[in-house]
Amino acid sequence: MSVTPIIEAHGIRKTFGTHEVLKGIDFELQPGEVVCIIGPSGSGKSTFLRCLNHLEQPTRGLVRVGDEVMGYARKGTELRTIPERDVARQRTKIGMVFQRFHLFGHMTVEENIIEAPIRVSGVSKDEARARCDELLARVGLFDRKNAYPAQLSGGQQQRVAIARALALRPEVMLFDEPTSALDPELVGEVLAVMRDLASESGMSMVVVTHEIGFAREVGSRVIFMDDGQIVEQGPSEQVLAAPSHERTRAFLSRIL
Amino acid sequence: MTSSRSASSGTEAGLAPPLDLAALTVRPTRRPGFWLAGGVCLAALILVVYILVTNDRFRWPVVFEFLFDPRILAGLGLTLFLTLCCMIGSFLLGTVLAVMDSSHNPFIRGMAQTYLWVFRGTPVLVQLLLWFNLGALFPVIGIPGTVFAWSANALISPLSAAIIGLTLNESAYMAEIIRSGLNSVDAGQREAAQALGMRGTLSFRRVVLPQAMRVIVPPTGNETISMLKYTSLVSVIALPELLYSAQLIASKNFQIIPMLLVATIWYLATTSVLSILQRRIEIRFGRGVARTAAQAKPTRARTA
Repeated sequence: MSVTPIIEAHGIRKTFGTHEVLKGIDFELQPGEVVCIIGPSGSGKSTFLRCLNHLEQPTRGLVRVGDEVMGYARKGTELRTIPERDVARQRTKIGMVFQRFHLFGHMTVEENIIEAPIRVSGVSKDEARARCDELLARVGLFDRKNAYPAQLSGGQQQRVAIARALALRPEVMLFDEPTSALDPELVGEVLAVMRDLASESGMSMVVVTHEIGFAREVGSRVIFMDDGQIVEQGPSEQVLAAPSHERTRAFLSRIL
Repeated sequence: MTSSRSASSGTEAGLAPPLDLAALTVRPTRRPGFWLAGGVCLAALILVVYILVTNDRFRWPVVFEFLFDPRILAGLGLTLFLTLCCMIGSFLLGTVLAVMDSSHNPFIRGMAQTYLWVFRGTPVLVQLLLWFNLGALFPVIGIPGTVFAWSANALISPLSAAIIGLTLNESAYMAEIIRSGLNSVDAGQREAAQALGMRGTLSFRRVVLPQAMRVIVPPTGNETISMLKYTSLVSVIALPELLYSAQLIASKNFQIIPMLLVATIWYLATTSVLSILQRRIEIRFGRGVARTAAQAKPTRARTA
């Protein structure tokens, strides 16, 4: 662990009203690492993931991604909050894939993918299109470039969503239950793309998932969360095969 | 009934004799009511046409003489101009009000709601008269004693009073339509845009608003058609739009009914055209919705 972590989260707490969803989470992600977060629904896994790119602003705690502290500008040892448009710029380093895809419904597949590179990063249209072709070929949807999201299956939509997130050349990818909204027979194609992303590109990934098989096979580390806290974490095979906490064991026996 | 029959199943009495389907012929059901209703409608139509043609007080020759009169056409032009200006203005102002109304800041939200309360709660005719007589309330508009001060009577002409009055009133209604459109867009769309590094204004303009348009367009079409008709109200402040132009001619030639008919024909013609336009625009903004996607961009969808 001599390398600097690409993401570092310290003491993340999040409160909605009087309900404390996250109760102080410390987290590190090494470059090229694939961390899978598992846990019962309502345990705060998704909220934590959303805190990492400040879609949800933590009530307390700080997140560093690369050399920037999310939501703040650093002046010496002081942090100052920055306006939303600067947070938006910080987010371009972090790709995110949602449970329900959230492709832009009024845009074709290609338009979905080239939108942010052109409008946010200022990439030329030709360059964005070339990158789009490359990404679509990679997720196996080159021939659906001009389709609208509603004309695609869930699995295809999620693969486009992955391509869209990759278009900005992020340093980290966050996946929020990427296969939970899919019909069972479509889960495989999305997991295959994610597996390829981890092994071929060595992408650093944080994956909130219920796919224990994927976690075991691709995840370098597994984190088990319950009730807003990390209960246990460690190498995938260890946590999944020989969990040391009763709560982890109970959870795994329920879903396997 | 059914249960008793199923209980006695197996007895031959419950089973119909076998049918030879090949020997049967199909005849359409007779529908005398259909033709009877059609006949009544046709009779009513003939009666209306008969009245229109035989009652020479309609003075159709006069109607057709003035239908393309330059003054009428100028009035029609002004009516269309007013409709266009006011709808564009109220779409923009309505969007601002809709965004204000969904603001987190209670003061901004309160301001938008007060606006809606005032402008929806009073008749547009009263509003028009108030704007037209603004000079009586504020003789000078601007900062008195500087060059930024104008006489209200110079600023408020019938035209500017009409545009201001109709736009401000319509904005309140457009705000409600736009707000419901914005609410119809899944919150995930905005989140996805945020996650891609898009700023609030960019995601609003490129992601949220275009998808809200599908919900916004149909009622906006209706509002445009209403607006075209509401412009006739500005005849009270002596702006020569279609109705007032017709009335001006009538005041000289005393052909009141024929001149009203001229206006009626033009109102009907323009609202019909607007209805057709509305259909087209609805298809355009239905893009990406499975049902209409293929119609909207047939060539591109097919090459996929």
